[in-house]
Parts: sequence; C-alpha cells; structure tokens
Amino acid sequence: MSVEKLKNFINGEWVDSESTEYGDVRNPAWDKLLCQVPMSTKAEVDRAVQAAKNAFPEWRNTPPVARARCLHRLRELLEENFDELSRVQTTEHGKTIDESRGETRRGIEMVEVATGIPSLMQGYNLEDIATDIDEYCIYQPLGVFGHIAPFNFPFMVPLWYLPFAIATGNTFIVKPSPRDPMSQVELFKLFDDAGIPPGVVSLVHGAADVANHLLEHPDIKGMTFVGSTPVGKIIYRKCGETGKRVIAQCGAKNYLVILPDVDLDSAVPSLMTSFFGNTGQRCLSGANAVVVGEDDAFFKRFVDTFVEAASKIRVGDGLDESVQMGPLQTGESKKRVIGFIEKGIEEGAKLLLDGRKLNLVGDVPETCFLNPTVFGNVTPRMTIGREEIFGPVANIMRAKDLDEAIEMIHSNPYGNAVSIYTSSGKMARRFQHDVMCGNVGINIGIVAPMAFFPFSGMKDSFFGTLHGQGRDAIRFFTESKIVIQRWF
Amino acid sequence: MELNTAAAVIRFATEVEEKSAQFYDDCAKRYSEVEETFLSFVRENKKNVTLVKRAYYGVISDALEACFSFKGLNVDEHFFETECDEKAALSDILKMSLEMENNIQDFYQRASALSESLMADLPRALKKVAEKRKERKHTLESLLDSVR
Repeated sequence: MSVEKLKNFINGEWVDSESTEYGDVRNPAWDKLLCQVPMSTKAEVDRAVQAAKNAFPEWRNTPPVARARCLHRLRELLEENFDELSRVQTTEHGKTIDESRGETRRGIEMVEVATGIPSLMQGYNLEDIATDIDEYCIYQPLGVFGHIAPFNFPFMVPLWYLPFAIATGNTFIVKPSPRDPMSQVELFKLFDDAGIPPGVVSLVHGAADVANHLLEHPDIKGMTFVGSTPVGKIIYRKCGETGKRVIAQCGAKNYLVILPDVDLDSAVPSLMTSFFGNTGQRCLSGANAVVVGEDDAFFKRFVDTFVEAASKIRVGDGLDESVQMGPLQTGESKKRVIGFIEKGIEEGAKLLLDGRKLNLVGDVPETCFLNPTVFGNVTPRMTIGREEIFGPVANIMRAKDLDEAIEMIHSNPYGNAVSIYTSSGKMARRFQHDVMCGNVGINIGIVAPMAFFPFSGMKDSFFGTLHGQGRDAIRFFTESKIVIQRWF
Repeated sequence: MELNTAAAVIRFATEVEEKSAQFYDDCAKRYSEVEETFLSFVRENKKNVTLVKRAYYGVISDALEACFSFKGLNVDEHFFETECDEKAALSDILKMSLEMENNIQDFYQRASALSESLMADLPRALKKVAEKRKERKHTLESLLDSVR
C-alpha cells in the first residue's frame, strides 16, 4: 500500500515537493507509519518567500477589520473541526486526547485574541507637541515572517505567532517539525476556506536545510522559533547577521518549590500535570521539585504522596480516554531519556520510581513508552538536576529555606518557568519578586500564559526582545512609524 | 472502573444521557399517561449533552489538570438499570426512574465537585445538570403520587 506524501502549501495551492528526500511520520503509540514528509528544496523555500512577498502589499492594504473577519472565519472553522484537529495531534505526537484538545483550545485562543486587531494595532498621538504641530505613532507591518516549529505542540505553537503576524498585515511561512507535520497540514487546509488570500500563509516542510534557508533569506524580515537552546542561540546569531527580528523561545529546567504549609492533596493533580503532562515534553514542565525546610515528616509525606500518585498514572495510547500519559514522541526520545535515568543512578541519585519498568494500558508496543520516573537525593549539579531531560522524569531536592531554593533556581542557566506551592501569601509574594524567571506560578503547575499575555522567558530560555502572544506580539510584528505634521 | 480524565468523564456523561433518554423514549411509547413528560426528559437529555460538551470544549486547556482531576469517580457506583418488564406497572417504572435519576444526580454532583480546580464553566455545567436531575425527581415523585 502506498504511503501518503505530504504536500507544501505555497501561494494558496497544495503542491507536491520536488524533493527526492522524504522522512517518515510515525504514530508513536502504535509505532506505525502515518505518512511521509518532504525535505523541501531551497527553490521551494524561495517560491514560498516570493509568494509571501507578492501577497504582502495587497494584504497590508486590506483594512484591519477585514483581516480580522478572515480570522473570525478561521476561528469558526477551527471550532467546527475541533475534534478532528485534536485527534491528529494525538495520532502523530502521542499526547492524550485531553491534552490535544487543550492544545487545540489554546491555538484557537490565539486566533480569538488576534481578531481584536482593529483595537490592538491602534497607535497613539499628541496634539501640539509645538505650536500647531501634532505628532502620532502608527504601527505598520513589515513584510514576510517565518516560523520554525517544534515537535512538542505541533498544532498550537505556530499559532503563538501566525494569527498576530497576519492580523497586523504581514505574511507568514511555517516550517513544521518533520516529526509531526500533519497538524499543520490540517490547519492549513482551513486557511483557504477562511478567505485568506494566496501567499499570505505558506507551509514548507523540511528540516534544518529549510530552516537555514529561511534564516538566510534576505526577503524575510523576522523569524520566530521554539526549540532547544543550542539551536535558539544559532538562530539568534543568524538573525542578527541578516538584520532580522527574532523571537527564540528555548529550553528550560523548571523548578517547583514546595513549602511545608502547602495543601498537598490539592497540589497533587497540579504536580502530576506539571511533571508528567505531555509526557514531560514541554518547556513549561516541572523538572525539579524542591522541598523547603527541615521538617522531615513533611518531606517524607511529600515524597510518599508524589511517588504513589506518579506510580498510578495510566500510560498508553492517548486516544484511549482513560489514559493519563502517552508515549514519548519517538523511540530515540525514549533512549535519550533512559540515558538520563542511567546517568542519574550513576551520579548517586536515588531511584524512587523506575519508569523503565513498563506498565502500559492495552497491548501497545513498548517502542516509545516509559512510565513516570522519580528520583530523590538529586542536587542541582547532577546531570539530571541540571540539564533538560524532556521526558517523564521528576527530581526531588531539598533546600533549608526559601533563599536557598531561589539560589538553586538562579544557579541554573535557564529561566523559563518556576512555581511555588504554599498557603503563605507573604512567601509567595517574596518568591515572585525575587526569582529571576520569565513565567512564575503560585500553586500552578504549568505556567502557560494566556493568549492575551506575552509568553515570557529569561536567561538561556529566551533570545530576543519582545515575546510571542499578546501585546508583545503586536509590537514584534509591526514597526512604529512616527509622523509629525504641521499645516501652513 | 475509576474515571481519571476529563475526556472519560464527558464520555460517561454522554452515555448516561443517551442511555436514560432511550429508557424514557421507550417508556413514553408504552405509558400514555407519562408520554409528554418522558418525551420532555428525552429532549432535555439532548440539551444536557450539548451543555456539558460545550463547557468542556470551551475550557479544556493543556495547562490545567484535565488528566488528573477526577480521582475517585468510580463508574461502577453510577451504574443503573434500564431493562424492565414490558408489562411492568407504571408505578414500578416511576420508581425505577427515580432510582436512576438519584444515581445520575449523584454522578454529576461528584464530577462537579472534583472539577472545581478546572476553569469555572465545566463544574458549573455539571452542577446545572445535577440540579435539573433534582427537579426531574420532583416531577417523578409527583407522578408516582398520582398513580398510587
């Protein structure tokens, strides 16, 4: 039986790639081939950029209210296709169906916020900056933007940028992850029906070569990226060299600080979601749980409760609605996580729950699966305490007080997300004030900013100036033009 | 079997509504005295499914604890029987309906309480259906009194 080969979407048309090189897209739960994705050529990237460049003048001259109506239609189509979009995410990524539906909802929220562009894009003015002279600031689009997408949220992450980019009058090219590109294909099928003109949005499949060509292309004004820190640093440098704007949202090693006054029973679902949701494959996942204080009884209760809850997580095919954690996205990811587990044991951490001992729901193959793993006696200097694992592994640490916990957080190069679990407003306020990190949670496991707030990040977790989402995105995708006028 | 995830709870709620609607639809054909009331229950069940699903799809978020919020919600405790003798007296049917509604109300109340940590719409929708079930019980009790 022949396998479907995905097409690129360029200038409003689905076109076969001229590439001879294809990658496999697999269902990680069942280890089955779903389709093949082309590694597109430079010429195809050029055609997409040219189409986007050609579409820009007419699109930027389309009134914002008309652009917003296109996005309203897109939103309606996304709602109509909600479950199918979600099922595709689970099929190609592996996450649970609840997680996929959550991803779809967050993607739609981005579109909803961007529909407010007639209000969001307004500039400001001041009469009489001097006698009979007025000054005003207008926000104008820049041209063609590109996006290099990660595999962990194949539907949502491009939507952190795309709706804001096109709402402000720019044109936009997405390069999805070659590991799970089908979600973007499903999304792009809806653009045509939404009445978005040819060339305004394009989809070009591929891997590093396509990304590099987008980064080097002189007609692209800015790039957005979500992925690892080493790649983010390269992208930031390349965009600097070619004069592009850039948002590079990168890696993380997120700390969750647990104070002994926490309502532990209420916190457990949040902690499980944080450490094991999306199988630990997200930049907002909890990585290190730091229990504060010298209360040994509380520490023991925390460890026992945490390990017991983690051990009961149902792992299997995400389409099974009883399943709470899906597989890792590839067998290679699983091997990499196992490597971290082995390193943790080697460096002296105490293995409290071994996720390598599989306990799976249904007769799924073991290829991509791990159960939750929990380590105790972890220090920030250990490899597992320091590096991003991107898998279902939780480390438990101790700090004598809040100051020491914050020092531990600051000793890590990342600054994506942290949380504190406590019933003390005073301690929580001190934590949010002192901690150097982009997204701070108070009794929140996944500190995911809503579409109308920027998705922050600091230190090695973010390279750029303005962030994605919210007002930051509007500013990122527009240039401030100043007009000073006097009439004689 | 314990339900853990929001998706499983919503599916179970849908099954409960469909199963009880089928029961009322069948009985409406056999007992003309309650035909109108039972058919109104069937229509309300359809609305309940829409209400709950709309709330779920509207608030589901990858950042909330959708996969871990329903610990302790055991489906077996909310099983109800809809098979009945074709020659059963109407009073027996009404008693059976009351028992079923008790069970369903209890399910919605528990699901609502457990989902309070999720965004407001879902627990509110579940609570609203629980309240509707309570009102339905009053209707059934009145009917039972009238046939005794």
